[in-house]
Amino acid sequence: MSTEQPTGSAPRRERSGPYVAVVRWMENLSETQYAYLLLTPAFLLLGAIAFWPLVSTFQLSLFADSLGQASVGEFIGLGNYVAILTGERTALLPSPFLPQSLTVGAMFNSALAVTVVFTVISVFFETIIGFVQALVLDQNFRGRRWVRVAIILPWAIPIVVQGMIFFLMFQPNLGFLVGTSDNPAFLNQIGLLTTTPLANAQDATMIVIVADVWKTTAFMALLILAGMQSIDRSLYDVAKVAGASPWQRFKYITFPIILPTVMVAMLFRTIQAMRIYGLIETVAGCTTVPSLSCLVITTFNNRMLGSSATVAFITAAIIAAIVSVYIVGYARGDV
Amino acid sequence: MARVQLTDVTKRYEDVTAVEEMNLDIKDGEFITLVGPSGCGKSTTMEMIAGLTSPSDGTVMIGDRDVTTLPPKDRGISMVFQNIALFPHMDVYDNISFGLRLRDYEKAEIDRRVDDAAGIVQMEGMLDRMPDEMSGGQRQRIAIARAIVREPEVFLMDEPLANLDAKLRVHMRTELQRLHKELETTIIYVTHDQAEAMTMSDRIAVLNEGELQQFAAPLTCYNEPRNEFVAGFIGSPAMNFTNGDLTGSGFSSAHYDVTFPTEGVGISPGTPVTLGVRPEDVYPEETLDDAADPTELIDAEVDVLEPMGDEIFVYLMLAEDTESGMGGDVSGDDTLLMSVSPDSTLEEGDLINVALDRAKIHLFDDDTGEALVHGVARATGASADATGEEAE
Amino acid sequence: MNDDTTRPDGGVQTEPELKRGPFQRWINRSIDDPERAYRAMFYVATGFFLVTTLFPFYFLLVLAVTPEAAGLQLVPAAFDFGVFLDVFRQINFLRYMFNSLVLALTTTAIVLLLSSLAGYVFGRLEFPGRTPLMLLVLAISYFPPAAFFVPLYQLFTGNVIQGLVLYNTPGAMILPFSSLFMPLSIFILTTFYGQIPDGLEDAARVEGTTRLGALFRVIVPLSAPGVATAGVLTFIAVYNEFFFSQLMNNGQPENWAPIVGGLLQLQRAGQFQVTYGIMAAGSIIAVVPVAILVVVAQEKIVSGLTAGALKE
Repeated sequence: MSTEQPTGSAPRRERSGPYVAVVRWMENLSETQYAYLLLTPAFLLLGAIAFWPLVSTFQLSLFADSLGQASVGEFIGLGNYVAILTGERTALLPSPFLPQSLTVGAMFNSALAVTVVFTVISVFFETIIGFVQALVLDQNFRGRRWVRVAIILPWAIPIVVQGMIFFLMFQPNLGFLVGTSDNPAFLNQIGLLTTTPLANAQDATMIVIVADVWKTTAFMALLILAGMQSIDRSLYDVAKVAGASPWQRFKYITFPIILPTVMVAMLFRTIQAMRIYGLIETVAGCTTVPSLSCLVITTFNNRMLGSSATVAFITAAIIAAIVSVYIVGYARGDV
Repeated sequence: MARVQLTDVTKRYEDVTAVEEMNLDIKDGEFITLVGPSGCGKSTTMEMIAGLTSPSDGTVMIGDRDVTTLPPKDRGISMVFQNIALFPHMDVYDNISFGLRLRDYEKAEIDRRVDDAAGIVQMEGMLDRMPDEMSGGQRQRIAIARAIVREPEVFLMDEPLANLDAKLRVHMRTELQRLHKELETTIIYVTHDQAEAMTMSDRIAVLNEGELQQFAAPLTCYNEPRNEFVAGFIGSPAMNFTNGDLTGSGFSSAHYDVTFPTEGVGISPGTPVTLGVRPEDVYPEETLDDAADPTELIDAEVDVLEPMGDEIFVYLMLAEDTESGMGGDVSGDDTLLMSVSPDSTLEEGDLINVALDRAKIHLFDDDTGEALVHGVARATGASADATGEEAE
Repeated sequence: MNDDTTRPDGGVQTEPELKRGPFQRWINRSIDDPERAYRAMFYVATGFFLVTTLFPFYFLLVLAVTPEAAGLQLVPAAFDFGVFLDVFRQINFLRYMFNSLVLALTTTAIVLLLSSLAGYVFGRLEFPGRTPLMLLVLAISYFPPAAFFVPLYQLFTGNVIQGLVLYNTPGAMILPFSSLFMPLSIFILTTFYGQIPDGLEDAARVEGTTRLGALFRVIVPLSAPGVATAGVLTFIAVYNEFFFSQLMNNGQPENWAPIVGGLLQLQRAGQFQVTYGIMAAGSIIAVVPVAILVVVAQEKIVSGLTAGALKE
């Protein structure tokens, strides 16, 4: 009767060897041991490909740039940080880290300023437009599915294609957005763009911002939409009965409830925007629009490993600072 | 079919001991129930028999094998769960045959066994349904079919009826008993419902705070509870308890005295004890003849009547026993629940006399909670009022 | 409801009757009935978003199919679809596409396997260190790829461990992709696996699976929507990735460069060798796989993005 000795049709399973021993061993692990066992593969990968490089980047940042064949020079402690943050290193870098002066031109030449300007402006517009998109998608209407597909589509395309689209759209005399000096397009006439915008730091930064807003607003909209749809619909009925107009319903119900969601979404986008690299590389090139990640790569290509690691680590530190500000602010809002 | 033995089985978590030195010897083919209030360790005990939790100490034997370190799949057990736990992504056939397929049985054998099992739970013809297309009762039958199809040595049932509605629950009780007769497999059943435990099992194991209180046939637990906890837990409505003291001439409390010879009780007079008596062993004056050996009359006032149809529960308020002078603590035990026949003419507010049946009185040691005696002897001439002295 | 009838309540109309155009009438009606104005705003906004999100794609298409000689027009006067074939003639675009798909699928498989184990642990087991470890995983997703780049490049070019050269192989991309995109999957799967009732796992084990068997036979199949979501998001993320895709190979198709390499090669070839139309056509072809995925799996994308992000 027992399953251990089935009669007639004996199970074909083999019951010996190392497999059984391993299974037996796993079955008798305590919950904690089992948990750590299953986490091992994931953490081995994260350890080798994420934690180790982080630590190693920090180590590298403590060494001077190499002058000879060796990959790095001598140990100089925080010397790289001091040199980069005080501007001492600027002459050696492919593009300055800090703005050299407070002029517009100097701003768009500085990796830090370009990254901050890009991040602040694009996240700002993404939030506003994403909010409106979310309001649209929150309505029930025929064809909503397809409008949603259209809005998500830019988010889902490869960065290199996004870059290519805007690279092509702003080619002089190819698109209709940019003309030549003989035949200026509308945007040239009103002075918004030069006739070679992709080679002009200021114009190129603007184009990169537009491209980023075009692609990533959908992400913002989807998060905000999720927040809106988690609102208890009966609240709106209560407000309607109380005589609130749609605007008042938005102002007194929708907005306050989804504000925390918007903050989280903004945090996410800020972190991502601070990393901007591929879009710039495709649209205008890192020499025209030198973001922080661009600077990491250009210094690396110049064999300035110490400087490269230092810029990378400063970027990470800035992001960490932003994250903690958000988290502290969020925690305070909760109390 | 196998004997199941638990020897000193203990489960400790970081800050609590869920099960303390549990010893159970379950006979081959027996239907036993682990019963107790929530948190008493009954589910942990079952999980240790199943192998879902490993004991901190002690051994579990199924048949003549020590299975303490074996995984669940190698223990020759099957289990029915409280939340039914059918795999929602599989149809009925796949659910029932899951264990057989894992063990690489041949297709024909699987089909035969699935058909048999479905027949036993009367669910033939439903094999291609999905679990979410079925009622709660049907799902539980499928879960039972899944458990019996592997012809396990031991059946574990963890509150399998708790999520069913009341009517279905009573029906499924008889089904399970029928199933047990048919399969003759050892069944270990967990419930918090003492009525379920009483009606179905050969023996019940009453657990409290991780410790085994009593392991005996249902009627033994009912008639001879080993301690105050078992006495209070088994039986519905619960046994009446009155705090008092053992005196030279019997039991004395703030509300009434009962006389009996105290030599056989085993502890010396003057010790605090608790007297327990079930509602059906309390008699109003007019039916005193029915009691085997009624005690002295007790003054009481009818507080509330609860007619149940086949009987009436009478909540009595006891008067303060001024004569005894034994102050005692009055808290809580100035009431007594009595059950009387439905043709009783008692009304709320009536002042009446009641008596207890001496043969059905239980005395418990207040220190240990252990039962001292079940039924006391007649007093030697002390009770003047008793009228049914000659009753057997 | 007409403006020039007298009011039904018999009140005197004090405003002088003006001659109004249809637009003004519409405005007036909107003031009477704000819902109407909101509905109009809604249609305007929807139309605006459709145009702005889709126009760049349309531009690409027009640019691609307009013959080189003809000028670019909003509605092209002439069509030349041969350009889509030219993409494959000019460079080994097929190999780039193949590389991209292989990298994305392999990474997705690795990520799903590892994050299933981790998601199970975080979602279903109680153990000391659970919260700190989850925070550690979360922290990874905050760091910019640039912060990992230099040491990884050194590692993959054999400068850390002699003889271990992964540069120009799939490993040099799959390893960073897997570790950087795994956190999102771990969080998605933690949520899904945590919702499966305990009884089902116990039932599977009693019925005859091992602990690990219960995970892959019961918990994972029951969480199929979550696994699909994590898979789709990982696939899209890898397919769209730029940083390591560009930097961990020399851009040649035979060295496993994905479409990033292909499109950049087209772009850098300059317009004397490669027309803008070919660049546009290449971009369109590169978008096709993800566009199909978006249409098919938009619900998964939406739920996954929001669940993953809001959980974190």
